[in-house]
Amino acid sequence: MAEHEVKQILRDLDHLQPATLSQAPNLLSRAKLALLKLDALVPDADTTPHHLHFGAAVLEHGALVSIRLKDTDAFTRYYQQLQSFYALPAERWNSRVGKPKNQAKVTGLYLLLLLSVGDYAGFHTVLEGLEVSSGKGEMEQNEFIQYPVRLEQALMEGSYDKVWGETKRERVPSEEFGVFSEVLINTIRSEIASCSERAYPSLPISNAKNLLFLDSEGAVVQFAQARGWVAKDGRIYFPQQEEEMLAAQRDVMSSSSMVIENTLGYARKLETIV
Amino acid sequence: MADKMDVDAVAGEKEEEKVGPAPDLPAERIITNNFNLINQAVDAFDSRFTLRALRNISTIRKATNFPEAIAIGIRTAFPKPQNNARRVLEAMLPEQYRGVQNGEASDAKDPDVVEVAEVWAYLGVLVQVYLFDTQQYKKGAGFSENFVDKVRSFNRRTMDPIGAKAYFYYALFHENLDPKPPSKQSAVIDTRPKLLAALRSAVLRKDYETQSAVTVLLLRNYISTADITQADLLVAQTQFPSTASNNQVCRYLYYIGRIRAIQLAYTQAHAHLEAATRKTQTTGPAAGFYQQATKLLIVVELLMGDIPERSVFRQPALEAALYPYFKLVQAVRVGDLQAFLKCVAANEAQFRKDGTYTLILRLRQNVIKTGVRMLSLSYSRISLRDICTRLGVDSEESAEYITAKAIRDGVIEASLDHQQGHLVTTPARDAYSTTEPSEAFHARIEALLAMRDECVMAMRYPMNKHRQEIAEAAKAREREREIAIEVVEGEGDDGDDGDGGFEGM
Repeated sequence: MAEHEVKQILRDLDHLQPATLSQAPNLLSRAKLALLKLDALVPDADTTPHHLHFGAAVLEHGALVSIRLKDTDAFTRYYQQLQSFYALPAERWNSRVGKPKNQAKVTGLYLLLLLSVGDYAGFHTVLEGLEVSSGKGEMEQNEFIQYPVRLEQALMEGSYDKVWGETKRERVPSEEFGVFSEVLINTIRSEIASCSERAYPSLPISNAKNLLFLDSEGAVVQFAQARGWVAKDGRIYFPQQEEEMLAAQRDVMSSSSMVIENTLGYARKLETIV
Repeated sequence: MADKMDVDAVAGEKEEEKVGPAPDLPAERIITNNFNLINQAVDAFDSRFTLRALRNISTIRKATNFPEAIAIGIRTAFPKPQNNARRVLEAMLPEQYRGVQNGEASDAKDPDVVEVAEVWAYLGVLVQVYLFDTQQYKKGAGFSENFVDKVRSFNRRTMDPIGAKAYFYYALFHENLDPKPPSKQSAVIDTRPKLLAALRSAVLRKDYETQSAVTVLLLRNYISTADITQADLLVAQTQFPSTASNNQVCRYLYYIGRIRAIQLAYTQAHAHLEAATRKTQTTGPAAGFYQQATKLLIVVELLMGDIPERSVFRQPALEAALYPYFKLVQAVRVGDLQAFLKCVAANEAQFRKDGTYTLILRLRQNVIKTGVRMLSLSYSRISLRDICTRLGVDSEESAEYITAKAIRDGVIEASLDHQQGHLVTTPARDAYSTTEPSEAFHARIEALLAMRDECVMAMRYPMNKHRQEIAEAAKAREREREIAIEVVEGEGDDGDDGDGGFEGM
């Protein structure tokens, strides 16, 4: 029977080892088919709490597995499907079985995903929705949600050493979050690099190593070459031409065409005001 | 979006203001007078009369005998007690007002009043207002659902302003039902299909009042349950009619400003909110809206990095309401992170109520940026350790990264000396040698010219004046022609009389 099958698959998913992770998509598709037979993939008014629990559990497993497999599209799809479950009021869930346990984790992972691709507007929109639905107290205490919020604050401020610290093993709430650490470190490295180009006239290579969180001086030189910097005598020199270009743009003489255009516009409008 | 500068109606309002307090017509007389206005509106197909009739709802709803007045109005309009329309309306009023009329009251009534559906719709809106004022939200919600369906089925252009008001109260009733928004189960979600259908039909029928009113209601609906993406999609897919009334325009701009602020598009949000605060009334019943819009405007300005002027906080209508924001602005202006955090914690409840709490949390980075900017303006060279202590940042490394980011973002013009751990500011360039002043002037001139164009487009002239002018011009031409003929004839007569009358010169 479909219910029995779903229970079996859930048990298999619970006992999944990292080595056998590739079997998970197969299991998940079978689970979703079984859910469809039970009419529980999309919750509606007459789905029983038992089936709701199955549906939510399968989808949450799917979400976490796709993160481990680094499949961001699948994760986004599972997240959207889970939204209809999370929007249900508390009464629909059986008191014995309880609400889905991983809601905060999945939401936190989605926030982290948005952050790593740089979609700050989406990040804040989801955060608004959370604030409104669960209130301040719950959100503050939940470590899974606070982690991306803290990261975003640190990124916006520019204190990249805090971001670096957060991605270290101990601070990460769970291993799924760790998957994003690599992406985040690359992001902040390029941010720091672009900041350094403007801020420092030149930099000794050893300092650059510390600033960029790189392991060795060779890596620094490689990185510098990749970004088009000049590395000479143990120092790195940053290209200066951007500054001059900006200065030239604001020079009145070169923007005379714009001034002429504006003034002609004023003259035309003033004619109509007689 | 042009405002209707309704010359007649403004004059009429001034008259009403003068007349209002003195003789103080009883509510039922006002209602029956409005029936005449509505009939005029239907005959002349001019919505100004309907708007005038709707305008004094706010005065009559405060009358103590308001339900009685409505009952009398219903009886005046629909003399027969078995009339279906009348029964529907009376069912909403408390029992003592439902008169058991025997037929005798019907003699002096003119049959027109019964036929015109707008009168029935107007009475329905009055009933909605009454139910809302007495907080009978469930009853009101049920009544409104059927009411708006009926109004929509009428499809009469003269009923449009009344229909817009009906939808407004429909949405308002559902907002007050439990569970209230922002819960995801609140009743407002059920109103969405109806409002969307109303929007569709309004657009098809070119019913601009309902279109604007329903768009605004939908946006309010989506924002209250924090469905920002849906609200954004609605704005992207629909057009707001340019002939909408000023009130709806203000509301629309406010909601769009909110959506853009959440999506981090601060410049757009600022433009919209500024327009909203400029177009709205600052006193009277709209003062609350002005306060809310100004609060949001202040937060958006802070997020953009500008400091709002002190004069904003001095206005009498706003002084008390804006006090927490005043404190906030002070903290941000100085760049003092500790004071900022204290202020946020102290006024948290107020900010949550205003819906600006999440936006204010984003201000943390602005405080730091402002702090960095203050330091770079005051010092030509400052060590990173000092920056660290003054900003209240945890470590020197953080301070270094923060200043580097600030330099890259263009907040300050400086460079870092890593060996000695100093921030060295470059002396400021003369702003007048760049195009900045001309750009600022250009922006202002454009805004003023646009305002002038809008005013010109919004001017209204009385309808038949130009025909009079043509008649007068024709008469003038006639007269000139006659004079010319006379002159020619006259000259012909005494043409041989050389000097005319000048003899002794």
